[in-house]
Amino acid sequence: MPGIIGAFTELDSTVHAIEALRRGHFDDITAYSPTPRHELDHVMEHPPSKVRIFTLIGGLCGATFGYWIAVWASEYWPLVVGNKPIASWVPYTIFGFEVMVLIGSLSTVFALFALSRVPRLTMTVGYDPRFSGGHFGVWVATTPDRSKEVADLLRQHGAVEVRHEA
Amino acid sequence: MATTASPYPVRERPNIPSATVRLPAVADYEQVDREIIATLRPTLGWFACLAIAILCLLLGISAWMYQIYSGLGVAGYHPPVMWGVYIITFVFWVGIGHAGTLISAILYLFRAGFRTSIYRCAEAMTVFAVMTAGLFPILHLGRPWKFFWLIPYPNWRLIWPQFKSPLVWDVFAILTYLTVSSTFLYIGLIPDIAVLRDRETNPVRKRIFSMMSLGWRNSDKEWRHFTRAYLFLAAFSTPLVLSVHSVVSFDFAMALTPGWHATIFPPYFVAGAIFSGIGMVFTIIIPIRKFFKLQHYVTLNDLDAAAKMCLFTSMVVGLAYLTEFQIAWVSGNQYEQEYFWNRVFGQWAWAAWIMLICNMVLPLSLFSQRLRRNPSWLFILSLFINLGMWFERFVIVVPSLSHEFEPWQWGSYAPTWVDYSILLGSFGWFFMWFLLFIKQLPVMAISELKEVLPPRMRFAHAGADEHSRDAGVVQAQVTGDYDSGEAGRTK
Repeated sequence: MPGIIGAFTELDSTVHAIEALRRGHFDDITAYSPTPRHELDHVMEHPPSKVRIFTLIGGLCGATFGYWIAVWASEYWPLVVGNKPIASWVPYTIFGFEVMVLIGSLSTVFALFALSRVPRLTMTVGYDPRFSGGHFGVWVATTPDRSKEVADLLRQHGAVEVRHEA
Repeated sequence: MATTASPYPVRERPNIPSATVRLPAVADYEQVDREIIATLRPTLGWFACLAIAILCLLLGISAWMYQIYSGLGVAGYHPPVMWGVYIITFVFWVGIGHAGTLISAILYLFRAGFRTSIYRCAEAMTVFAVMTAGLFPILHLGRPWKFFWLIPYPNWRLIWPQFKSPLVWDVFAILTYLTVSSTFLYIGLIPDIAVLRDRETNPVRKRIFSMMSLGWRNSDKEWRHFTRAYLFLAAFSTPLVLSVHSVVSFDFAMALTPGWHATIFPPYFVAGAIFSGIGMVFTIIIPIRKFFKLQHYVTLNDLDAAAKMCLFTSMVVGLAYLTEFQIAWVSGNQYEQEYFWNRVFGQWAWAAWIMLICNMVLPLSLFSQRLRRNPSWLFILSLFINLGMWFERFVIVVPSLSHEFEPWQWGSYAPTWVDYSILLGSFGWFFMWFLLFIKQLPVMAISELKEVLPPRMRFAHAGADEHSRDAGVVQAQVTGDYDSGEAGRTK
């Protein structure tokens, strides 16, 4: 979808611009900042990240697998030592814990990539290299008939550059 | 640096962070980009250091090839001491790796401010130290090409590893630690690689950075998931740090050998690991801040805080040493008592006293604030800590094996040139990777440094205005000599 991109040098201008856009019922907004800023989080009003669900499920699966592989392999190839259990849960907690951390961490990374939509092959639309430097940015996906309204709004709130992108 | 005109009244101000100004000599985001990216330009000194590291590595590889050809006998093993330099160095490097995760994960959860400027180096150090450590159990094998038999996988032999063996626990712990710490390092690097991608002019490097940054765009959605994922990775890494060296300590504590069979080993090893890792962080970060001119990022306050952590862990380690003696004394176990007497006043007294002086006595100097804020002293002390911690592992491994229960089990041990070459090669391997890292990727986390800086504001409130103005004033006065004078005042 075509849209308008605005570059800002100040954080508060960016926040005010987003507030104004939301009041104008523009919902498809992306904010850019060189570093995570809680001000932008608040104004965008996103729900909590779902990364934690992946972490929980990954961790539980990992712990289960860690215990299971140790118990199964011990039963499959039993080493019988006088009156000692063939599968002993105490040392196998090490496997349960380590595999929980391993799979839980990898699931977290998978969730980060999947939910953030990375890897991304192209970033030419709606992005400016200055957004990783010292500038803040706002991208608004909008129809051509409302693009002038968006551009005016961004300039009015202190955008140093406003650009149409398709 | 030339002094520029400032619209604000000029006043003297120390290069010391405060509650409102974390990096007093850093004015804005662009300065962070400029100064951190400037560290990536290769210099003659860097090439010289890299050449030395590669030479050491080649020496180590040659010695290993000779050992594979001739057998493990060339490595100084002599009954009853059949664990030597390789196991000592394995534990040493695993320990070095611990401070990285401590600084990057545990201090992140505790929101320790001094972590920001040093954690990237510490994290890279962790990954390379664990990569180095992982080589040593393989070097220690008679048939190193069979090392993968320790990994449980379906195979035609229809056999599985012994899951009750500490060596298999090690495999799981070290591989998990390597994977998680590498992942943690890479995830933290993604936004910084995006900065490099956006500033790079060379098309080949730009393409490489584009691929490595995975198309990262610094959008609100990406940051939202990133901060959450980073938090969970830190939360996973924290108990992992404690578990890995506990598992390494089980290699010893599960045996009945005098000096090893002790319940104090897991916390003792973890404290020692963190202590040695902080020592190595000083060894690395102090030259980096000097040669890359980053004293205004790693401030004296940061070094002071890290030195306090070093002092604390040194005292924990010292307490563990004394507790070992106390346990042997009150145990009434003759073998334990004989062993500890032999360790400190007998055959291995020289090694034990190197350990005690380097790890217990010299770090007490850090009670002095003047020394905690003296980078030269911290660097020298860190070398002693590295030496002392290697000898700690020597004192754990060799004296126990050379003085077991019966007189026929009493012997001696002397490393050979093969041991020393491989030890030197391990330092070459570690520093080769680290030197390559610091010239390809940012040594400090650009996005996190920006996080502690005040953003530009159009209608700033009073506190933020003061914040920005202070930073601006100091930036205008910076002379480049941040550590001189009383506690590093700018001129």
